Formats: sequence, structure tokens, C-alpha cells
Amino acid sequence: MKKRIFICLCSMLLLSGVAVAQTKITGSVTDASDGSPVSYVTISIQGTQTTTATDVNGSYIFTNVPEDAILVFSCIGYSSQEVPVNGRNRIDVELSQESVGLEELMVVAYGTVQKGSYSGSATQIKQDKFKDVPVVSFEQAIVGSVPGVQITQRSGQPGSLPEIRVRGFGSFNAGNEPLYVIDGIPATSGDWGSDNIFTSSMNFLNPGDIESITILKDAAAASLYGSRASNGVILITTKTGRKGKPVSTFRANVGLSYFAMDNYPLASDEEAEILHRESWTNYGTDNPVKWQPYGSLDNYVDAMVEKYYPSRKSEFIYVDWEKELFRVGISQNYEYNISGGGDNSKVFASLAYNDDKGVNVIEYLKRITATINAETKIGKRLNIGGSVQFSNQTQSGHQEGAAKDNPFYLWKVHLTSRWPFQYASDGSYWMESYNGGSQRNPVGQFNLQINDANQMRVILKGWAELRLTDYLKIKTIVSDDFLQMHDRFGWLYGHVNFSAYGNGYMSDRYRFVNKVVSSTVANFNKTFGNHHISAMVGWEAEKEHFTYTRVGMVDFTNFGATQSALATTLDEAFTYVADANILSAISNLNYDYNSKYYLAASFRRDGSSRLSPKNRWGSFWSVSGSWRISNERFMSNVSQINDLRIRGSYGTSGTLPSSRYAYKAVFDYWTYGTEGAGYPDNLANADLTWEKNKNWNIAVDARLFDRLDITAEYYNKLTTDLLLDASVPSTTGFTSALTNIGSMVNKGLELAFSLDVIKKRDMVLNLGLNWATLHNEVLSLSEEGEQIVSRPWIWKAGYSYVQYYTREYYGPDPETGEPLYYSNKILDDGTRDRTLVSRSQASSTILEGMTAIPKGYGGFNAAFTWRSLSVSMAWSYKYGHYVWDNGVDDMETDGYNLYANIAKSQIECWQNAGDQTYLPRRIAGNTGGGYYDSSRALKKGDYLRLKNLTVSYTLPDKVKRFLRLSNARVYLAGANLLTFTGLNFDPEVRADGYYNFYLPALRTVTLGVEISL
Amino acid sequence: MKKYIIISIICLGVITSFSSCKGFLDTEPTDVVVAETAMLTLYDAGIAVNGLYVDLKWYDYYGTYMQLMGDERGDNIQPRTMSSGWIQIYTLGYDSESNTYFNMWQKCYQTIMRCNTLLANIEKLDPATSADKKKRDDYKGQAYAVRALIYFDLARMYGYPYMKDNGASLGAVLITDVVSISDAKQDRSTVAQTYDLILSDLDQALSLLSKDKNTGHFNYWAAKLLQARVYLYKGDWDAAYNAAKEVIDQSPYNLVPNQEYLDYWQQEGGDETLLEFFVTTQSTIDDDGGYVSFYHNLWHGDVSAGASLIPTVSWINLVQSEPGDIRAEFLRTDSKYEISKAWLCKFPGTNGVNFRLNNPRILRLAEAYLIAAEGALKGSAGVNQASNYLNAIRKRANPSTTDVVATEDLIQDERRKEFIGEGHRFFDMMRIGGSIVRSDGDGYNFAVSAGCPEEIDWNYFKVVLPISHTERQIYPNLEQNPGYTE
Repeated sequence: MKKRIFICLCSMLLLSGVAVAQTKITGSVTDASDGSPVSYVTISIQGTQTTTATDVNGSYIFTNVPEDAILVFSCIGYSSQEVPVNGRNRIDVELSQESVGLEELMVVAYGTVQKGSYSGSATQIKQDKFKDVPVVSFEQAIVGSVPGVQITQRSGQPGSLPEIRVRGFGSFNAGNEPLYVIDGIPATSGDWGSDNIFTSSMNFLNPGDIESITILKDAAAASLYGSRASNGVILITTKTGRKGKPVSTFRANVGLSYFAMDNYPLASDEEAEILHRESWTNYGTDNPVKWQPYGSLDNYVDAMVEKYYPSRKSEFIYVDWEKELFRVGISQNYEYNISGGGDNSKVFASLAYNDDKGVNVIEYLKRITATINAETKIGKRLNIGGSVQFSNQTQSGHQEGAAKDNPFYLWKVHLTSRWPFQYASDGSYWMESYNGGSQRNPVGQFNLQINDANQMRVILKGWAELRLTDYLKIKTIVSDDFLQMHDRFGWLYGHVNFSAYGNGYMSDRYRFVNKVVSSTVANFNKTFGNHHISAMVGWEAEKEHFTYTRVGMVDFTNFGATQSALATTLDEAFTYVADANILSAISNLNYDYNSKYYLAASFRRDGSSRLSPKNRWGSFWSVSGSWRISNERFMSNVSQINDLRIRGSYGTSGTLPSSRYAYKAVFDYWTYGTEGAGYPDNLANADLTWEKNKNWNIAVDARLFDRLDITAEYYNKLTTDLLLDASVPSTTGFTSALTNIGSMVNKGLELAFSLDVIKKRDMVLNLGLNWATLHNEVLSLSEEGEQIVSRPWIWKAGYSYVQYYTREYYGPDPETGEPLYYSNKILDDGTRDRTLVSRSQASSTILEGMTAIPKGYGGFNAAFTWRSLSVSMAWSYKYGHYVWDNGVDDMETDGYNLYANIAKSQIECWQNAGDQTYLPRRIAGNTGGGYYDSSRALKKGDYLRLKNLTVSYTLPDKVKRFLRLSNARVYLAGANLLTFTGLNFDPEVRADGYYNFYLPALRTVTLGVEISL
Repeated sequence: MKKYIIISIICLGVITSFSSCKGFLDTEPTDVVVAETAMLTLYDAGIAVNGLYVDLKWYDYYGTYMQLMGDERGDNIQPRTMSSGWIQIYTLGYDSESNTYFNMWQKCYQTIMRCNTLLANIEKLDPATSADKKKRDDYKGQAYAVRALIYFDLARMYGYPYMKDNGASLGAVLITDVVSISDAKQDRSTVAQTYDLILSDLDQALSLLSKDKNTGHFNYWAAKLLQARVYLYKGDWDAAYNAAKEVIDQSPYNLVPNQEYLDYWQQEGGDETLLEFFVTTQSTIDDDGGYVSFYHNLWHGDVSAGASLIPTVSWINLVQSEPGDIRAEFLRTDSKYEISKAWLCKFPGTNGVNFRLNNPRILRLAEAYLIAAEGALKGSAGVNQASNYLNAIRKRANPSTTDVVATEDLIQDERRKEFIGEGHRFFDMMRIGGSIVRSDGDGYNFAVSAGCPEEIDWNYFKVVLPISHTERQIYPNLEQNPGYTE
């Protein structure tokens, strides 16, 4: 192959040699951003057909150039540059990468287009924007960079599943996750584990193997994915081989991480004792019968405090639990890839290894990924190619939420500074329960607790493309996407917390997802004068076969046994399979006139096995158009406006039920005594159909003063036939039934600015800002006035999908300190009673204006390059929303929790008549329930966060040449370095606003090197 | 040439993919059975009959709550501390917005639906042999009997005692068919109407059920005893007496003798058990007979036990008032949690294997004796008959005791001693218009300081449970019980 490249280059040079000899020019072309060489830059003499090109090292030799000629350097992805020769014979040029130019090629549904001709709403992010951000899952690297897209890390554990919401919430129960399409194939995505730890099946992708990510937002962009497009589509294009001498790149980075902020500050040891004393004093004062046996209130309080917050004993060792439970996490990432190719064949291959140790000793992730992607030309008309992507990932961690194996929860709630750690005598762990509950010192148990997940995934793909004529080609793709998920949950012999399970418990769950996708598409592309037409027609079939096997055993035979083979009693064992298939016809048509007027339409027909035969076929379509005003003659004199166009789209898409067989009435089985027991399992709904989305979008794109890019979009996404596991009267015998129930709208404005502040040869500064609004509203449910309570939310027409519904807390009675609530009973005239009452008399109500929908969200970023130094940063923000803090239930209990830790804020509780404060009087065993399930859990969620900051330095050419490297770079990257929020815990909360002791986000600092040979 | 081979392979691929489309979108589940094929044989029907019982033993019905409704709302059992042990039941602290205790309503209708589904489909089976026909009839009878049991529980939990107002208060929603969502939204019937359905279901059941022992399932005798109980609650004393007497005289069950009495509680299919539910598995550990079960919480004899419930001091005093009562031996003082408080060791687990796994006893021959006693005393059979039946139970518990002449108080005290942990006490006091009195400082009681009236009688609105707020959101014509917030 090398030979072939050589021949090509030679022939290029020979050809250029034919021109009239005048002078020979040599030089090199480098990338202005990082100084790396740019290969295959076309260099032409203006006004002639004479061209040459740079080699892989960016060097060129151009002979026979007239001394007064002007050389034009052009290359895809870079702005062209014209350089007068002026008699020189060495000309070095730096090319600037094209910033979001309208001519940029963009990957879209079933093809690529020029950005300027595309009338849908889509944002493409190229790998150079995220290549240095040290993450395991690529989604984290693009937080805040796409307007209208909310990306949240659900947990700070390694490998956790990010949550993505494209333009709000599209669905009630059918899921709000977007469809992932990898290199043209709809891929298995989401979390296929057993919910004991978050694990993302998309983690199989090494971010370093990704060429670009495109997020499709409107109907024109996404309708081609039909029944699965409603929540947006994420197109991922992986790297392919590049023409030229094989280039090997090696990257390595090492990072350190710890919590990004001080989550849930707790009362200090002294403060806690004072607070305990206060609550017992109040309790004793109210119940003299309690202290009388003790002689005096003081004696009683002393005894109670000693019982529930015992003084430190010399027989025990006490510790700072944070130090025992957590450590600085260390991540390492090593990556090697090689890319090369000639005229006919191209190959890309990569191998990467991640080792990520989380902040708790049980948290880790190890992943190896490998890919090979090759293609070749056979004859003149046929291209064939194929790829293999393989990954093997093992993750370990702990449950999230208020679980007794979540060290974060234990640390914040149960493990007080008076909870003994070890016996002073022999240093053995103190494993008793201090609070009478099931929580124990977890430190000695970490190695006896198993909660891990192994994912293996292989995607095999083959394709062939036949060019029948210059304007007509047919491409067929077959792929097999195989995912094996094996996760385990259990406690080994000797784990004290769980003696309930006998001598240990181990459950292995295996899930296999095999998805075969086959598609064949014909493409037509032809220009007739000023008319350009492209069209596509094809079909696609998808077969997903799912196998689930579960084996659980109890009672290990041996201390140290880790697998259920060494357990004695079978707890459960079963297997089942399930299928979900889709058959589709797809087509689209694009027309443009003279690069001024664009029209496009798409149509897809989907049939799904998830619906009954009478409802299973549906049609999805879109129409869109744009007008490129700047290409009109009357605009040619307006030099301030480089580009201006308006575009609009309208179309439909859908969402399928997540349940495979919800339309069928089924019997489920259990055991009764020693026999089987069967019973109807669901209220079947044969009329079940997909959720339907009607979606319109209008936008303006402009580039002004050759510096400022602006995109402004407004969208309206109406979802009808919402799939809801709707509550039904219990008298049916069921509690819920999957139903197409109502409608919901999401609408909003999205603005994106990008400004080239400095655009010099050796210095570039670009600033970007994006901002989006979201209005989400449930328009109707199945019945007029119906409200569905799903605490802490309510669904009701006129309110958002994440509208909070609870008791409305007022504050303490200034005289007595008793918690007061607004009654909020509905009066005869329909208004709400606003008198202040005790908790038991307070009705839950819709808290107007308190929703998890932000008023605005987005990000801003800056990229600065000076010679070989570049600095970039990305911020994300969100404001105007409320989050539901479940921590209030455990740490701000006004004395209810007799043993637990106390939030620092409790210091401000009511103490004396006349105190003006928000928190009521503390009283031991507080049965007033002032704290839980009330608006006290609602907090303003506003935040601003420096998501990442990267400083990168490319070694000078001399050094590179000396080391014989084509490129060498070092970089330092930080994630979540700064956080500004009014919350007392990490503000990156799920889009529905609910926070319940998920391991908070981590601050990470990473040092990396990249070397290309 | 190569090109053409490849092209033809592609074409072939395209064609075969298309031709395999037929049936491509018809997929079948394998972990459940499509309803149309779920009950085609008598064997399947037998499995569906088991399905009537399998959820009744869940913690939110006979696994725990039903017993607590009778014992912890009463004066037999109480929480050990004020921080755990179903305080909300103890203090009657529930309201229409607390979701915890309303699964019972759902649970009840879940199995009612199963009974209705079985009754609607079993007629389609046409057994060839008379033995099979009898089997089918027995299955039908079980469905009627289970439905009667559940409607009876709905009536006594959600409706006021029959004798308070002759059944005029609101009772259950009567569903006797497989219903659609809209048909399910019927108004509540009165307690009297609910009792009518219960008694007619029991008549149906009695005409169909087999008289053979059928552990874990209703048979004729269990249905008969349930009928006696229903008449007792209704105040139909003679009918109660007659039904109970038939069970005592004619059924194959016998009172276990005194010396076997303690062991009886760990026996499956014991001599005097007319109906119990199988609790055999720990796999869904938190749902049936596992960690949330009240058996786990009654037990104090193991560090891993729940130990959050204790017998009240007044019950202890009652059972110890006569020396030699075997039921006093349920009391143990070796608590691994709080040595000063005695605990109730009545339910040691089936075969004593696991204290969490007890088959709840639903109907027991001892109850037939005490129903017969009460029916005789208040009805036409007379005090002598009443005394005979009462003394049979008293002497079984304490062979050294002397005979007494039956009175209402003696019968109720005997019921209280005999049925602790079986969910009767509160309902007994309510049905006769009595009251539950629990005052702080009386033993370890703290009900009053936790917000509960000291004396509870059938005039207190919380003696009936609230209809869940969430249920009423989607079903507004489901009328709320008086006193509760809408």
C-alpha cells in the first residue's frame, strides 16, 4: 500500500512538472490551532489548473511556479488561503480550521449534507471539541455545547449512565432517551443492567474513536427515524482510515478526582450534641412524665443524649468517616490508533484501555476497546467495507440512593462522629449497629460486597455500495450488534449487614441483546443547471432478540467463596427470551435551486412488533425548506453579512412503547406451596399505539463581519397519544394499564453565538455562548380535569410534566415553633384555604411555579490558541428550576431522627418565642413530620459550572523533527473545577429534578500526552 | 465477474430479507402466557386457583397488615419503641393521603379480579369424567369462597360495624365480573349489600366445595366457618351458632390437645386449621413472610429479627391471670433486644425452620367453638351450650381450670387470649359496640402521646380506613369515609 501511495504522489509531482518552469517552491502547511502538519492540502496556482498537494508531513514541493503567481492553499475543514509568491522559494503556511462554516459537511440521517443546504435542526460536534476532555462516556464531554440539550451525569461512579434530554420531555412512560445511531445503524443503548449500579451500554465507545457527534432535534432532521425519533437522535460517526502514509497515534493520560463540592455540610460534633440536647430538652419539657423517673429534666436529657449520641469511649477508636470511606480517585487511559490508506483502500484501527478507580474503594471501571474499520474499492463502481467494534468493560460500585451499601448516604446520614470505628484493644472493626437499624460500619465489609457489571459488546458491520451511474448509487448494510451484560449482586460469607440472607447471597444476571439490522438504500443525486435534486429510497429491517437468565443462590459453603457455585441453596433460576422487531420503508427528497432555495421532504413507514396487528403500521413524514438570502443578488453588496438564511420545518415522529408485549393480555406465574400459581398480569390494551409527535421549527442562521455566527431557533413539539402506565381504579384488579392518554407540548427558543474575537495567523480566540428556554406543559389527560399524582410530581393539564405536588410548608409558628403549613383545602368557591394549620390538616397541592423545568439553560465556551499553546474551556448553566432534595428526609428532621447526622442548617431552628426562622422547633422523635414530603424538600437549583478546562501545548517543530515525530502534544484537563450554586449539594440533578443520594459529581484533573508517528 | 457475484449476493440478500418478512412482526412472550391460552385445561385451572391465594399472604394483606389491623389497633400488640413497628396503625395515624396502608384495597380487588376471571372462564371447560367435573366444581367453589372472604374483609375494614347501623354505612364496591376500566368505577354499596353478596357467594361455595381436607385452600368446612363468622358479625346469632356447630360436629378437624398446642403453631396442615395460606419462599423476601412481615417483627429471639412489636402488658396480665394457661408460655423474656420487655413467641415458623416464614392461620376450629359460644349466648341455644363451647377452649388451654358460666366478657376475653396475632381483637370490639382502651403509662403504651384517643369505639371516624386520595383522583365517585379529608 505504501508503494501505491508513493506512486500516486510521484505521478502528482510529475504532472505538475509539465508546467512552464520558472521557480521551485518548498514549504510546509501546518494547522494554525496546534501547529500539527496538514496533509493533502491542495495547492494551486490561481487561474490555472496546475496543482500539487502536501504529503503526510504537511510538506510540499511545487516546481515551475511563476514568480508572480498567487498560490491557493485549500483543504477540507480549513479556510482557504491565498499567498502571493513574490519571488520566494520557501513558503510556510498555517491554515485555520473552518469554524462552524455553512459549507461544513455534516452527518445527518442516512447521509451527509453541507450544513448550508440543510433545513433541519441539527448540531454537529467534531472530535477536536472533546478529544482532550477526559471522560469514559462521550456524552459527558459535550455537556453544555448543544443548545436545547440537557446532559446530566446521574452519578459520580465510574461508567455511570448519562441522562440526555433533547428539547424537553417527550413522553410519560415510553422513555425520554434519544435514539442512538452509530455509523448509520440504530444501536442498542441505555442501561441493560439490573439497576444496582448505573451502567451504560454506550460506554462501549471509546470517545477517542469518535469522529463526530450529530444531535438531530427537529422533525426534518429526525423523522427519517420514524417511530423512535421523538426524543431526538444522536448520530455517532466513528473514525475511518485516511489516505496517506499510516499514521500511528498514541495517547495516554492520568487523572485524579474527588468530589466537586462540599455536599451536605453537617453539623460539627459539638453542634450535633447541642442539637440533640435541645431536642431532648424540648421533648422532656413537653412530656414531664418522661423525665420524672430521672428526678430532673437535666438528668433525663443527659441520659437520652448519652443513649442516642453517646460520649466517646476509650475502648473505641473514632474516625473522620470521610477519610475512611473515600479516597482520591485515579483514572488512567491509554490509546493507540493507526490510520492509513491509498486511493482504493483505507483502514483505521484502534486499541484503548481505561482504568478508572472511583472515590470509594469498591468503585472501579476497567475497559478495553478495539476497532477495525476498513473499506476498499472493487473495480470502478463498487465499494465495500466493514468494521468490527469490540469492547469489554467491568464496572464495580455500590447502590445509589438511601441504600445501606451506599457509602455516601451512610457518611452523610448514619455514620456520626460518635459511631465507633474500631476497638482500641485489637484494632478490629466495630460492627454493631449503633442506631438499632440495619446500617453497619461499611469499611470492613467493602470486600464482602459484590455489585458489579461486565459488558461485552461486539458490533460487526459490512456494507457494499454500488455506483450504478454518476448520479445513482445503492448501498446495503448488514450489521449485528451483540451485547452481553452480566451483572452480579451479593454479599459474601461474613457480611454482617445481611445475615438475613443466611451466610451470604449471590445473584448473577445475564442479559444478551442481539440486534441485527439490515438496510438497503438507493441514492439519486443530480444537478440540472441551477436545479439540484437528491433523493433516497430504501428499506430497513431490525430484529432484536433478548435473552435473560438469572441465577441466585444463598448460603456460601466457605469463607472467601465468591461465586454461587459454592453456595448451597438455590434461591432462583430462570431464563426467558423476547423479541422486538421493526420493519421500515424510508425515503426522502431534496431539491435546491441555485443554492438559494431549498426544499426537502421525508417519509418513513414503520411496522413494529410491539403493537397489535391492527395498529402496528404507522407513517412519519416531514417537510422543510430554507432560503439562503445571502446568495441573492441584492445581498451581494452587503459585505457585513457573509451568510444569512432562514429555514423552517414541520413533521411527525413517534415513540414506541418500551414494553414489548403490552398489547397482549397475559398470565404470570408464581409458586403457591409446592405448586404453580397463575393469574392475569395486566390490563391489556389492544388499542395501544405509538406516541405521536408533531414538530415544527423555524430558524435563522447568519454569519456577520466574517466573525460572528448566530443561530436562532424556535421550536414547538406537540406529543399526542402519550403512553402512560396510567393509574386505573383498583376495582379493575389492577393498579395501572399502559394507555395512550393525553398530550403534551415542549416549546422553546434556542440561541447560539460564536464569535471569532481574534483571528490571526498565530493567535485565535473564539467565544461561544448558547442559551435555551423550555416550556413544557401537559395539555390533556384522558379525562377533563384529571390529575395523576406521582409524588413528588403531579400530571395535570396546564402544568409541566415535572410540576411538584406536596404539602406547602410555611415555617414555624413564631410563638411555639410548631411547623405550620398552608391548609390548601379547596373551599366551596374553588379557591384554596390559606390559613395556617398543622401538617395533618394540610392538603397536598400543586405548588404554582415550582417545577423542575428550567427557565434557561445552556453553556458557554472559549477557545484560545497562541502558536502551539491552546486553552479551551466550557461552562454549563441552568437556572429557574426547583430540585427535590430527598436529603431533607434524613438530615433535616427537626429531631425525628434520634441517631442520625444532622445537617448544618438545623442550627437555625426555632428556639425561643418570637424567633423568625424557617425551621421549626427541634423535638426528639418529632412526630409532627415537619420535614418529609413537603415543600421543604424543594430548593432552587440554579447553577453555573466550569465543566472543563483544557490547556494543551504542542511541541515545537524542531523538537518533533529531532524526535522524528509527526506530532507531539501534552495537555492538562480539568473537569468540574468550579461550581456556583445556592444548593448545599451537587447541582447536576436529573432533568426531573429528583435528587436522592446519588454519588455527586467529581472534580477531575488529568494530565495527558499525545504522540503521532 | 467478481463484481457480478457480489451484486447477485446483494440482490439475493435483499430478496431473502423481504421474503422472510411474513410473521416478522409477530413475536410472542416467553416469560408469561398469553391469556387466551392460559386456562385451556383443568390442570391450568388448578394453577389459576392457586393464583387466588398467592397474593393473599403478601405483607399488605394476610402477610401482616390484616393481623395488625386486628391486634395492633386493638390492645393485644404494640410497637416496642416509638420509632418503628407500624406506629401509624398503632395510633390510627393514617389519613387519606398516606399511601402506606391502602394497598389492602388494591390487594383485595386484585384477587377479586382473579376470582372473577376464573369464574368467567372455568365454565368453558367441559370435563369428561365425573371426578373431573367435581374438581371443576370445587375450583369454582373456591373462587366464590375466596371472593366472600375478601368482601368480608373489605366490609370490616372500610365499612362501619354492621350492628352499629344495620349495615347502612358504605361498604365495598361490588365487582362480580371481569370489568373494563369504565365499568369498574361503580359507587360503593352499603355494608348490608356487601354482606348480602358475601352470604350468597358462600352459599354458592358451599354447594360446590369438596369436604375433603385441602391444606392451603378453601374447602367446605372453611367456607362454613367463614359463614359462621359473617353471621356473628351481622348479629345473626342462631345462624352463626348453627354454622359453627356444623363445623364442630361434622368436620374432620379436631382441637389439638393442650400438650400439643405449642407445637401446633409450627405445623402445616395442623389438626385444627381449616384455612391457612402457604408461605414457603424467601425469594421475594420483602413481600411474603420476609423482612417486612410482622412475624419477623414479633420475634426477639435472634439478633437479625425485627423485634419491633411486643404484646401489651394488659394482654400479658390477662393471660397470666389464671396460672397454668398454656398460652402464657408464648411469652418469653429472653429478648435479644430489650430484656425488660416480654415478647410473643407464638409463631416460630413452619417446622420451626425460619421464624419469618409462618403460614398465617385464617380459620381455625377454636374459632368455631367461640363463635358457637357467642351465638348460643346471644341467640336461642342458650347459656348452657355457650358455656360448653367456651369451657372447651378454656380447658384446652388450661386443663386445671374450673368451668365457668359463659358471659359476653368471658367470651371476648377468651377470644382475646386465644387469637392474639391472628387479627381479631379490634374487629371483635367494634362489631359488638365495645371499645379499645389504651392509656399511656399502662404498661408501655404511648398511643395517647402519639396522638391517638385513649378510648376508641365505633363512633371514632378512624375505626374505618380512609379511601386513598390517589385512588379517588381517578375515581371521584368512590365516596370517602366520613371524617377523612377528600
